[in-house]
Amino acid sequence: MTIVPLNRAVHAGLRIDPARAAESAAAVHLVPLVADEIRQVASQFPVFLAKDGETGQFYAAALMGLEPQENLFWNGASLEADVLPLNLLRLPFFVFGDGPEAAIGIDEASPAIAPEGPCAIVDAEGGETDYFRSVQAILGRLLQGRDATRQLVDLMLETRIVREIKLDMAFHDGSTSTLTGLYGVDEVALGRARDRITAFDDLMILAAMALSLDKVAALVRRKNARLDAQSAWFAPGG
Amino acid sequence: MAENGAIRSVCIVGGGSAGWLTAGLIAAHHGRDLSVTLVESVRRGTIGVGEGTWPTMRNTLRKIGISETDFMRFTHASFKQGAKFARWRTGAADDFYYHPLVLPEGFPDLDLAPYWNAEPSRSFSDAVCFQEALCEASLAPKLITSPDYVGIANYAYHLDAVRLGELLAEHCIGTLGVHHIDDDIVDVRLAENGDVAAVIGERHGPIEADLFVDCTGFASRLLGEALGVPFVDRSDVLFVDRALAVQRPVEEDSPISSNTISTAQRHGWIWDIGLPTRRGIGYVWSSRHAGAERVEEELAAYVGPDFAKLSPREITIRSGHRSQFWKNNVVAVGLAAGFLEPLEASALVLIELSADYIATAMPATRPAMDFVARRFNTMTRYRWDRIIEFLKLHYVLSEREDSAFWRDNRDPATIPQDLQDQLELWRDTPPGEHDFASAHEMFPAASYQYVLYGMGFRTRPRTGRLAQHEAAQDAFDRTAALKRKLTAAMPTNRALLDRLAQYRFPTL
Repeated sequence: MTIVPLNRAVHAGLRIDPARAAESAAAVHLVPLVADEIRQVASQFPVFLAKDGETGQFYAAALMGLEPQENLFWNGASLEADVLPLNLLRLPFFVFGDGPEAAIGIDEASPAIAPEGPCAIVDAEGGETDYFRSVQAILGRLLQGRDATRQLVDLMLETRIVREIKLDMAFHDGSTSTLTGLYGVDEVALGRARDRITAFDDLMILAAMALSLDKVAALVRRKNARLDAQSAWFAPGG
Repeated sequence: MAENGAIRSVCIVGGGSAGWLTAGLIAAHHGRDLSVTLVESVRRGTIGVGEGTWPTMRNTLRKIGISETDFMRFTHASFKQGAKFARWRTGAADDFYYHPLVLPEGFPDLDLAPYWNAEPSRSFSDAVCFQEALCEASLAPKLITSPDYVGIANYAYHLDAVRLGELLAEHCIGTLGVHHIDDDIVDVRLAENGDVAAVIGERHGPIEADLFVDCTGFASRLLGEALGVPFVDRSDVLFVDRALAVQRPVEEDSPISSNTISTAQRHGWIWDIGLPTRRGIGYVWSSRHAGAERVEEELAAYVGPDFAKLSPREITIRSGHRSQFWKNNVVAVGLAAGFLEPLEASALVLIELSADYIATAMPATRPAMDFVARRFNTMTRYRWDRIIEFLKLHYVLSEREDSAFWRDNRDPATIPQDLQDQLELWRDTPPGEHDFASAHEMFPAASYQYVLYGMGFRTRPRTGRLAQHEAAQDAFDRTAALKRKLTAAMPTNRALLDRLAQYRFPTL
């Protein structure tokens, strides 16, 4: 990854292929979320809290693989999902800094930067393209969502509705794996704490997170399918 | 006293780590059911003893309700993973061993001692435990993602004891509802049955309570002075009676040692405790064996050229303890109960254990108190005796011949009979849980193994005992693998503490 500040003079001629942007998600198993997208994302992926290795602070994330560097939704060409987190949709763009200092950056090493890409940043008249305006909108939601997300995570910790969830899994081929470091909303604890969660929107997000834990089963199915495909590949021809 | 002798109020006399740890544990355990008052002379100040803790401190602080982040920031604490004993055996420059806080791999189900004794290729502590490797590299026992009080390797703290007292005071008064009285105690009034009825404050007059905790330091104003409980001098076993201490500021980005360093000297030994802001260094010695000038020379050589800029403080130590610790309605905690040289950081842990017992076994009535006191006395005396023996063990195995201090320490007349018997047994059988059957043991058998084998003691291999050879080999291999993995993964003590200044440990 080579992230540089987006510069009108330098990057005006860039062509982007958004479909290829998701390639960089092929080796990502956790994608950070902001609060206002959790309800929607939780309909597709299990949503957990995880800890940032640099700061120890919790963040909300969608789980897409059952081990680090695994994304079970990546089929080699695209991500097979109806809903994608904003942090994948924004690629290859990034937000730099915070508050009024915030600026847009771009990953110059992204596979989405392609001469034949269908999207441009700047149109023929020198204005911003619709594509780029949609990217700006996504980056804006991510930036504005930081505080609300922080507050939601704090609420979850204060009300003690989060439990560490160790995923001990056994797969068709007999292999097993354990995924640690994930913290999910516990339904029973959420029930006990509901008087202290006063905002209805918060309650719905947390309920969605609790219910989304069932979607781990879908990940296991995908993993099994992947393992079956691999063993078919290696099986003697018949 | 309340009607029918119910215990409703506790008065702790004296602050410091002893007073405030006791107040915190009692108040956190009993909530508002019990009135807890702490009276101290703010003017008089406290002696900050014990800058090294045991891992027990983590649980103690959790019980009192202080977060690890707040605690570590406020007391300038760093992580301690054991003690390095340098020059204790031969006195040579490369002579050292560790007493780490992690048990030998597989212990106690699997005892590696016989296997190591059969083939002692490297030092015992390094062969059976990964922690020495972390200490040698000044690495931390946990990560910034590790929850409050949870580690990857077992750990304790080095801290500023005066700051610990201040933090606990603030929490006890602000959060736990402990009443705080700033006064000088001028007198103690006894009741007819010999109990302390009240302590008399210069400004507040009589302060009554059902139970008094004596945290008045070496003076032992209540238990020693008012109730006349004699002091049992143990300097016949442990000779150290003086300390010369300095605090040496350190550079902001200098490495912080992950262990206490105890370096044997001609007439005693030097402690070296690294905090983020300073190193506490002190020479403890026996005044019967050497004068302060000779000791200061050795201390200056240890500290280096900066020594000239520091102001050493001489402290007189009395090795020993009261003949009983709880009499009538007075129980002593901290220096008022006794003191031993800080070789294994026993001061704070004895405070924690005593205070925890007082909090959890708090008698409901005055008649019940005598029974609780008897138990407390038996248990606490047992603990002091075990600590004294364990400290003496460090001395009796030394081969140093450079002074009368070391030779006299090996005189059998100064070695408790139990320890002599035990050493005889350990010639043929490694220290094991069979040697330590009490529920109130201070040190696990593994600690004795670390010191014994670190000091060059050998248990004769008995071939019949080597039946678990493969399991032992696995355990040695596991230790080597853990060393590789953890030395690569763990941040330095300094790096983690810098991180902690900015971020908090997560709560789960």
